[in-house]
Amino acid sequence: MTTAPSRSAAPEAAGRQISPPEDRYATELAFLAAHDTGPRPPAWRLTPRAVVTFVLGSDGDTLRLPAGTDAPEGVPRHLVVEEKFVGDRALVERCVVTLAGERGLLLVGEPGTAKSMLSELLSAAVCGTSGLVVQGTAGTTEDQLKYGWNYALLLAQGPTRAALVPSPVLTAMTCGGVARVEEVTRCLPEVQDALVSLLSERRIAVPELSGGDDALLHAAPGFTLIATANLRDKGVSEMSAALKRRFNFETVGPIGDLGAEMALVRRQARAAVERAGTTQQVDDTVLEVLVTAFRDLRDGRSAEGWEVERPSTVMSTAEAVSVAASLGLAAAYFPGDRDVLGLLPGHLLGVVRKDDPADASRLLGYWDGAVRRRAEQGSATWRTLWDLRGVLEE
Amino acid sequence: MTPDEAAAALTAPTAPYLIGVRHHSPSLAAAVPALLDAARPQVLLVELPADFQDWLGWLAHPDTVAPVALAAVPGGRGDGPGAAFYPFADFSPELAALRWAARHDVPAVACDLPLSHRAWHQVPARRTGPAPGGPSLYGALRARVGGRTGDDLWDRLVEAAAPGSPPEALRRAALLTGWALRQDAERDEAVDPLDRAREKWMRARLRDASADGRRAAALVGAFHAPALLAPAQGTPARGEPEGAGTKASTEWTVSLIPYTYPLLDERSGYPAGIRDPEWQHLVLSAAGDPAALGEAALGTAVRICAELRSQGHPSGPADARELNRLTGDLARLRGLPAPGRSELVEAARTVLAQGEPLGRGRAVARALERVLIGDRTGRPAPGAPRSGLAPAVEAELAALGLPGPAGPATAARDLRLDPLRSDVDRRRELLLRRLLVCGVPYGEPLAVTVTGVAGTEALTTRWSVRWTPAAAAVLTGVGIRGVTAAQAAEGVLRAARRTEHDNGGPTAGQILAGLREAAECGLPDLVGERLTEARDILPGSAALPELLAALGLLDRMRAGHIAGLPADDTRTAATVSVAGLLTSAAVRQIDGLTGSDDPDDARALLELAHRADALGGIRLADSLSRLATHGSPLMRGAAGAVRVLIGHEEPGDLGARVVSWVDAATSPTARSELTRRLTGLFTAAAPLLEAASPALEPLLDRIGELPDRAFLDRLPALRGGFDTLSPAGRERLLAVVEERLGDRTRDTDAIDPAELAAWTAADLAARDVLTGLGLLPPGTRQPSSGTPAATGQPYPGPGGPAPAAPVSDLTLGPALGPADRWRLLLGRRTDHLPPPAAALANALDELYGSGRGEGSRGDLTGRGTGDGGGRISSFPGVREWSGELARLFGPGIREEVLAAAAVSGRQDVLAELDPDSVHPSVDLLRAILQHVGGLPEARLAALRPLVRRLVDALTRELGTTLRPALTGVVTPRPSRRPGGPLDLARTLRANLATARRTADGTVQVIPVHPVFRSRARRTADWRLVLLTDVSGSMEASTVWSALTASVLAGVPTLSTHFLAFSTEVVDLTDHVHDPLALLLEVRVGGGTHIAAGLRYARGLVTVPSRTLVVVISDFQEGYPVGGLLGEVRSLVGAGCHVLGCAGLDDAGRPRYSTGVAGQLVAAGMPVAALSPLELARWVGEKIR
Repeated sequence: MTTAPSRSAAPEAAGRQISPPEDRYATELAFLAAHDTGPRPPAWRLTPRAVVTFVLGSDGDTLRLPAGTDAPEGVPRHLVVEEKFVGDRALVERCVVTLAGERGLLLVGEPGTAKSMLSELLSAAVCGTSGLVVQGTAGTTEDQLKYGWNYALLLAQGPTRAALVPSPVLTAMTCGGVARVEEVTRCLPEVQDALVSLLSERRIAVPELSGGDDALLHAAPGFTLIATANLRDKGVSEMSAALKRRFNFETVGPIGDLGAEMALVRRQARAAVERAGTTQQVDDTVLEVLVTAFRDLRDGRSAEGWEVERPSTVMSTAEAVSVAASLGLAAAYFPGDRDVLGLLPGHLLGVVRKDDPADASRLLGYWDGAVRRRAEQGSATWRTLWDLRGVLEE
Repeated sequence: MTPDEAAAALTAPTAPYLIGVRHHSPSLAAAVPALLDAARPQVLLVELPADFQDWLGWLAHPDTVAPVALAAVPGGRGDGPGAAFYPFADFSPELAALRWAARHDVPAVACDLPLSHRAWHQVPARRTGPAPGGPSLYGALRARVGGRTGDDLWDRLVEAAAPGSPPEALRRAALLTGWALRQDAERDEAVDPLDRAREKWMRARLRDASADGRRAAALVGAFHAPALLAPAQGTPARGEPEGAGTKASTEWTVSLIPYTYPLLDERSGYPAGIRDPEWQHLVLSAAGDPAALGEAALGTAVRICAELRSQGHPSGPADARELNRLTGDLARLRGLPAPGRSELVEAARTVLAQGEPLGRGRAVARALERVLIGDRTGRPAPGAPRSGLAPAVEAELAALGLPGPAGPATAARDLRLDPLRSDVDRRRELLLRRLLVCGVPYGEPLAVTVTGVAGTEALTTRWSVRWTPAAAAVLTGVGIRGVTAAQAAEGVLRAARRTEHDNGGPTAGQILAGLREAAECGLPDLVGERLTEARDILPGSAALPELLAALGLLDRMRAGHIAGLPADDTRTAATVSVAGLLTSAAVRQIDGLTGSDDPDDARALLELAHRADALGGIRLADSLSRLATHGSPLMRGAAGAVRVLIGHEEPGDLGARVVSWVDAATSPTARSELTRRLTGLFTAAAPLLEAASPALEPLLDRIGELPDRAFLDRLPALRGGFDTLSPAGRERLLAVVEERLGDRTRDTDAIDPAELAAWTAADLAARDVLTGLGLLPPGTRQPSSGTPAATGQPYPGPGGPAPAAPVSDLTLGPALGPADRWRLLLGRRTDHLPPPAAALANALDELYGSGRGEGSRGDLTGRGTGDGGGRISSFPGVREWSGELARLFGPGIREEVLAAAAVSGRQDVLAELDPDSVHPSVDLLRAILQHVGGLPEARLAALRPLVRRLVDALTRELGTTLRPALTGVVTPRPSRRPGGPLDLARTLRANLATARRTADGTVQVIPVHPVFRSRARRTADWRLVLLTDVSGSMEASTVWSALTASVLAGVPTLSTHFLAFSTEVVDLTDHVHDPLALLLEVRVGGGTHIAAGLRYARGLVTVPSRTLVVVISDFQEGYPVGGLLGEVRSLVGAGCHVLGCAGLDDAGRPRYSTGVAGQLVAAGMPVAALSPLELARWVGEKIR
């Protein structure tokens, strides 16, 4: 999960940094279950349309429970469903329809585009939990995707069903839920391929238990899988074609709208600063400059349509949030030291210069191009940034 | 007015029967006959310009096969705005209505404003974006209907909802959608005045039609429908005052031409199209039946998958099934009766594209296009009058006085046009260019020889024109593209552009050519689009020369030197902004020049620096300073010069650095670097040393101070560097030098020799006196060359008897004066040198000749040149020259000079090179190999020992450095992580200590340390594919990669393949163990097609995860970058390890196109400039 969730609707449970969506939005989920009583795919908690509403919010409208239905305990009769995922409606619709067909869904996109958040929200809405998750790393092994053994029991009693330790995927299969595999491309290819037979045959053979009823563990109706993967990141291994054929792909793009992205960054940066116990906020002007610079460098094109050379580093919204939070914290802990805007070039350089030394000179190019032209057009903020170019030159 | 009232008003029985349509609408086209059957009108009005009235019959003719198009152009003029184009397909409601009218003998009226009306030609008021103020109906509707954001509202409200609805409901929905748009437009006051004029005209026609009580039906754009009701509600309009008088002004020529579905597709660039005509056709055939539409979607899904399969991407029935399910479910989720085009396209992208926008995604897009666009072609009814392109062009030819079909058949006529001065010539030029682009064999451009200074562009053009029957035939063929030469040319160019896109996007070269052609043909719209393309694509994919060519073209456009493009402020502004972008893109390319050894790049660098410096900025300075410190010798020199020229560095600093180069030239390598550095310096900025004296000063001093031996050692290298200057340039430099040395007195031609002798005698006497008194400062030696020069005695000619002084005399004898040294190293006025020095000059002239450029033809007439110009070789053969060199300079320097001669292209010296003593260098090897192709086998045999020795020495050297990087490969690693199955036996052994006896007497082992069996990797079958770019010239990279390949071929765990590619791929794997054979097999030349090389490499892959593919290239791909990226993706996707090598040499300095390389990195191929050692390390790491 690369994008921190936004401020909670329900109070955070004590002692947790982040609550999973099924806890945080429990009220909304219960409300939507009662609100839309249409037909549901097997084992789904909500109708597909309600899932879309849950993810994208009700657009500010107040939804009312239909007359004649009883509100479950603790659920209000009318509710505004909060917007959780900023993005294209058609994309979410396609995701939901894919899941309704019990087909695997693979969310791909650049880092920091809230793929993981979307997958959490979808699984929480569909099966009531987002906890059946496997984190893909180079160290992920096949038994984390299928099943493992309690070795002590195995040695003591031989292979029995009791000694079998189900993976989150197997749990989802047996209860008809949604399993999530994060960063599937970080797993080694041979480990990824464990998913192939699982997705096509919808059962797992346990050769150790052969002869008994448990030799084949079948998937219950409703079981499906959401995987996420980064396209542009170091250290990923490619997926085999066989596995790709078993997924529907959705590309989650960066947020299209400057205003929406600014709102998101502001909200999350504020949450981060508040967690640190201060209330210092980053000025909106600085925030706008920050988000604009990130967007320009990410898209390779400035808001005005000028060409900008893209650095090889990914300029994700999540990175923008962390820079905004750092700026806020700097202003809170070192008040009056320096203008916050003056810190921005240094932070940008820090974000950009990760692995390719040429990226630093690409940032110079950005200063030469977009920053200077905006300064020439008379924007005071950009003028200040242009004057700060000395920070970038060693 | 509420929507209900509006609907009631629009469909009121008292009102005229209105059908609101969009120009293409399959649902409505299917419903129109039923609607008209129900309404039974007695006259039908269709929203088409009145000029089309005569053609309506032919359009609706039963023999006319759609798609066809009605096109109208203002008569007498071939170009300009206002040309109108109305394509019709079976799913055009207008055509459906006209056909119905023809069947039922109902008169049809084209009721729109005639095209000649002046309202059409007024500049439309500029729309100012979304209007301010409250929520719009459109926005509200938009938010309700869902679907993709890019979708048209009409598609959502009318088309998608149509299946299963009765025709009348459809009509109502269409009228209401139009009304909603109208309401928004009215509120924002955004209705075009033209629209108002047209509506006024249409109202009048409607009134005329129904005047005699006939029932009238009007088929108009849904947006206009509400306005047609206006007279019924308001005051009846009086007669149209302009009505009668307008038709007279210009006659419009109308043609009915055949059309095709690919042209009808909106993305083809033709006006008034619709997306995916074949799909629309299917919707029309389904005639509003949801089940039939579902079937159509299923059939389309299957065909898309089949098409994808035929492109070599796996996709089977399972995919088609999922595609169909997703399409249907999406429609259901959105509450639609049947799936629409949008759902189908979305689902195809989700199910089939697999998140790869380039490789598979492109294939899916192509499959979608093929299936959804289709290839239906129409034709007008056979009896229709002749119309279209051919008559238009013939008329235009006649008007311009060019030979046409009417005139006598004559031989080709020569024309010289001056398009910038004469208007007739301008129009002729345009017509000829357009016909040329259309492929009509009529005019042929002839080269114009410019007699002025080189580099000036010609403003006049020459053509050879001739009318032939072939021209007529081709004109008929291109007629489908438009009805005037301008339209047809635009169509042809657009089609070419489309093909470029289909093949993976236009290359930089194609964009440039397209922009030039569009500009020459005077097609402003296309120029605009190509400019946009240039803005979007060139910065990322063009190499430096292409960027500079583009900048030159933009300059010409801005200066108005292109006849077809009249001055236009918007375009000029666009040109300026694109030029700025391209300049900054070019600045980025500077990093890619680091390893260049090509004087052209030095020149390009200079041009670029001048352009970029005008824009200012910190990036250029940064790049140049890095180039000046890290670049290849040539680029260091060039960058240093450029930095001085644009004021980033003081001339004095550069001068000091040049001196340090001279001082450091103590080894053969350093000396050849000195030559390259000076070459770079002078290529970029020849006059710098003449003009900026601080840059010259230090060198001047140093050359004078060097000991003779040191000077002689460096002389060939210095002479080689200064040889970059033209003879005239060197002459001027020498003049400057002599002046500074105060040595001009020796040029005494104009002074009476007797007088001069008297002066000299007096001088010498004075000197003797001073010497006798000990008054001369120590260290001042008597200039030996002074006396004979002063007497004006000529030296023995260069062709005369060989100088008697042996080399020892030279070194022991009097030193060379500074002026003589400069004469030697500049190679000018060598006849003024003392005899021993003249021999040196002679020997070097043999190599460098009289130089290139200004003054090289020997026509340089200056004082003192004597017989310097037109020098002929003074040595009978290479052997004599070689002997002379050895005598004068010593054997070491002799080899260097001979090697330099070999490098510069003299084949005959190859035989003189001594295999045993020559200093092995890649440059020399490269030079020799370049000649190998042209040598007869007998000479080649004599060369083999030399090449073998060079190759062996280099390979041995390389092997010594590489081998340590490759030893110790493949040791199995024990892994403790719980990976594979449990090793029960070992686990038991390891945990015996924890065995316990339980209460019931059984033994229980508690496994504290489980042991697992981990799979050991097989080790011996790695495959390395070295793909080497041999386009252009034999680069050092090629030699290095062959050498590296042969070293790597010796590693037992690796099977090494060596592929050489240009536009073709040659597999040289058979020779990989013998670098000599490998190098002798390589043939250089041709373009660069990396994708083809990669495709071949893909065929060699058996186990992708154990395959390394290394591409050694400058990445100036001459084919669409899209294809290259796709190949890289599929290799990376298969799991191969891919590496791009921007240059392979001992210093790891690259020369490459940074734009393309950047895209490749994003596609998964890391690109780096490597030395062979680093490459071997990379290989070692991968296979270890």
